[in-house]
Amino acid sequence: MQCAESLRVQAYFDGELDAFSATKSERHSEGCAECRTLLKDLGRTRTALRQDLSCASVSAPPALRARIMRSLDEERALDTPHRVSRLKSWRPQPFWKGAFSGIAGSAIAAGIAFFVMAPGLTNPLLDDLLTAHVRSLMPDHLIDVVSTDKHTVKPWFAGHTDVSPVVADFDQQGFQLIGGRADYFEHQRAAVVVYQHGAHVINVFSWAWDQHGLPKNTTRNGYHLAFWRVGNLVYCAVSDTAWDELLGLAQLLQDLGTRDAR
Amino acid sequence: MDDRRQRFDTLVMPHLDAAYRFARWLSRSPDDADDVVQEAFLRAFRGFDSLRGSDVKAWLLTIVKNCHLTALKQQQRRVFVPLPEEHDVDDGEAMIATTPAPESTSVRRDEERTLDRLLSTLRDEHREVLVLREIEEMDYREIAAVTNVPIGTVMSRLARARAALKAGWLNETDGEPHAVR
Repeated sequence: MQCAESLRVQAYFDGELDAFSATKSERHSEGCAECRTLLKDLGRTRTALRQDLSCASVSAPPALRARIMRSLDEERALDTPHRVSRLKSWRPQPFWKGAFSGIAGSAIAAGIAFFVMAPGLTNPLLDDLLTAHVRSLMPDHLIDVVSTDKHTVKPWFAGHTDVSPVVADFDQQGFQLIGGRADYFEHQRAAVVVYQHGAHVINVFSWAWDQHGLPKNTTRNGYHLAFWRVGNLVYCAVSDTAWDELLGLAQLLQDLGTRDAR
Repeated sequence: MDDRRQRFDTLVMPHLDAAYRFARWLSRSPDDADDVVQEAFLRAFRGFDSLRGSDVKAWLLTIVKNCHLTALKQQQRRVFVPLPEEHDVDDGEAMIATTPAPESTSVRRDEERTLDRLLSTLRDEHREVLVLREIEEMDYREIAAVTNVPIGTVMSRLARARAALKAGWLNETDGEPHAVR
């Protein structure tokens, strides 16, 4: 009933044959009606599956991605308990205490060198922001006040955070305001405005910062962090969107903030 | 971030979508698929140093498959106590998904439904090879690695899966020969 060559014809269709076998298989199909039909059917099945199958282009939900990233972070923390404990125990001590005595001294010197030479790697602020962003993507953590109205979101911050950031809806530019949230870091209740851009969530953190300077824009674990400041408020937008889009929102908010401040 | 983690993010994370789709096909429940994929990535990270060569996708999907089998065994052993169902609308993910899923707006909705159903009627080992070949576009050698069977078995399973799908489709459309596009 079935042509003995059918498996080889299938392999030809799947691109599994070398040039010589492929030519042989082509020649066979030219003379075999059954295998010609088979080839046609294989093509139709493939087209149907790739075009019409709803699950063919499903991607992993953002919350799952965040969950995995977090579990990998935890895994890494478990992996390196020695390094973590040394950094922790080092920090609260005055650095001169053992600075000139033997091994501890060189360990501290190495620690200082590490901090000075690689500030981008060890800045706890970046870690805090990234953790806050990833945590917000987990179920039920994204939004405290759900609203697409800036007049609802902004007053809500007055009772829940220490700062009153710029809140606006840039729906026309593709950034839809979806709500706000309070987060605690840098020893204060920071305000977080949440925007949606396509399938991406953008968290815009803001907190009062009296120090000079600003962290540099950076990418960590695949998330982009863009910083800017208006007056003494520092803003940071975090998302897995493309840089252009994130910086676009940053620019819009910065312009608006500067205008309001005048 | 350390070197190992960075390499993992660069090499393995891009295959998250494929791992998720494969887990969805295996477990047929989104929640189970989530757990399987998370466990698989954890195992992959722990065993990352043992990865040789560039066949990352096949390596990862093999781990997904193993995690699925482990989860299946545990489920069968456990007495099942249902928990009260949570409302989907309270889910953070549901909250941000304000646009309709692309598939619901597709004009090919009927074909989609028929195909989804037909595929779900296939035997597990047939559906598996078909999905790996047609959706994930893996070659025979990679499929053999993931499913842990010889290449010859991959070929015969593929042939049967494709024939069954075609037969099912003809059946659905009253034997109209050109229904499968």
